[in-house]
Amino acid sequence: MTGDSSLGGLDRLYPFLAAGAAVDAAAGGHDAAVLADAAWSAGTKAAEIAELRDQVAARYAEPLAACAEAVAGRLADGGRLFTFGNGGSSTDAQDLATAFLHPRYGRPLPALALTTDVAVVTALSNDVGFEVVFARQLAALGRPGDVAVGLSTSGGSANLAAAFEEAGRGGMLTVGLAGHQGGRLAELAAAGLLDHLFVVPSSSVHRIQEAQTTIYHVLWEAVQHVLAVRAGPPGRRLAQGP
Amino acid sequence: MAVTSSTRHAVAAAFGRRHDAGRRLAEDAEGIARACRDMAARFRRGGKLIVFGNGGAGTDASHIAVEFMHPVVVGTRALPALALSNDAATLTGVAAGAGFEEVFAHQVRHWAEPDDMALGVSPDGECANVLRGLAQARELGLFTMALAGGDGGALARGPAADHVLVARCGDPAVVKEIHVTAYHVLWELVHVFFARTAPAAPAEPGLAGRGVAG
Repeated sequence: MTGDSSLGGLDRLYPFLAAGAAVDAAAGGHDAAVLADAAWSAGTKAAEIAELRDQVAARYAEPLAACAEAVAGRLADGGRLFTFGNGGSSTDAQDLATAFLHPRYGRPLPALALTTDVAVVTALSNDVGFEVVFARQLAALGRPGDVAVGLSTSGGSANLAAAFEEAGRGGMLTVGLAGHQGGRLAELAAAGLLDHLFVVPSSSVHRIQEAQTTIYHVLWEAVQHVLAVRAGPPGRRLAQGP
Repeated sequence: MAVTSSTRHAVAAAFGRRHDAGRRLAEDAEGIARACRDMAARFRRGGKLIVFGNGGAGTDASHIAVEFMHPVVVGTRALPALALSNDAATLTGVAAGAGFEEVFAHQVRHWAEPDDMALGVSPDGECANVLRGLAQARELGLFTMALAGGDGGALARGPAADHVLVARCGDPAVVKEIHVTAYHVLWELVHVFFARTAPAAPAEPGLAGRGVAG
């Protein structure tokens, strides 16, 4: 690691700040100007993600609706939801699982993030390898009819690819979220080994994660919608059955 | 299988509700920048970031901690951060004994040092344990921040934190999406200010350039 005086890769994100950094640091900093620059940057990021969300909506509204119907169908028939990802994406996987299991409205559904059991994650990683942490859990817990959702900003995570292969073999519905060009997950989808794939067209890990959060929130909302429509009006649910 | 028009409308409506919400972050840009400047100074003095929240906001706390601990931009320095919702043993232990309101305050009390920072995440601004955690942090002299939503709730009404960012939207899912962008920006700007506050050090030729990887 270098240098405290270096902006590292951030100089690509904040070129105007990098340009003046050395001078300002030597001079004790021009506080007001720097704050104004930083504020301008924050505004720029907000505009970027708003535009990216619009692109995602244009590209994926129809596939997301199809995915929601497929997921709702599995869950209505007794399937369970398993979610997984690494690092920041693991927190999204947990957010997605708790959105289904403890929803703010609608029907609670069985969902589990495969990163929550630290004993299992470290045991598998230590004894077998990190590539199998999700696949082995799916092999043990999963049943045909379940749903596997994996999130990766790069699309290149080996443990996600292994998990989707395992899930596919086990008859589970597979849903992937990726960024950049889709990486290994795009290859799996092209080979027919991934049922639904949403690739956020960005090269910024941060913007990809932000757009993926929107994608899974919209997915959750649409699944709840489909389940509510299937159940019919409250008064008719008993008569119609599930 | 053909998608029904009902599902199609649900998806379109969901995206529609997000259309402008994300841009609202810009309204508080200057406040965020100030908070980042203050955070950078504390990191520079050896402080750490303590983050907490409930439910989905607990996953945001984990995300924020990993963002600082393992930066996605190659060459960026790791800064110390800890998410208090990750420790299920302590969380359930404190909740079963002292009560759920104390789960974060207890950990803050025993982890915090004066140069630390506390960041609470609460989509409606009303989470009692987040308010308690922040109050404890203030008492110990920490720099305190909160990410809230809706009208900001109790977090925005009282002196709960030095800086409160309110994502003014009634839909907690959209609030979360604004928060994710907010803390990504927060992380970036902390590093920008952190680099600017560098103590003048002699050049280390052997390491030159290593921090500027792509």
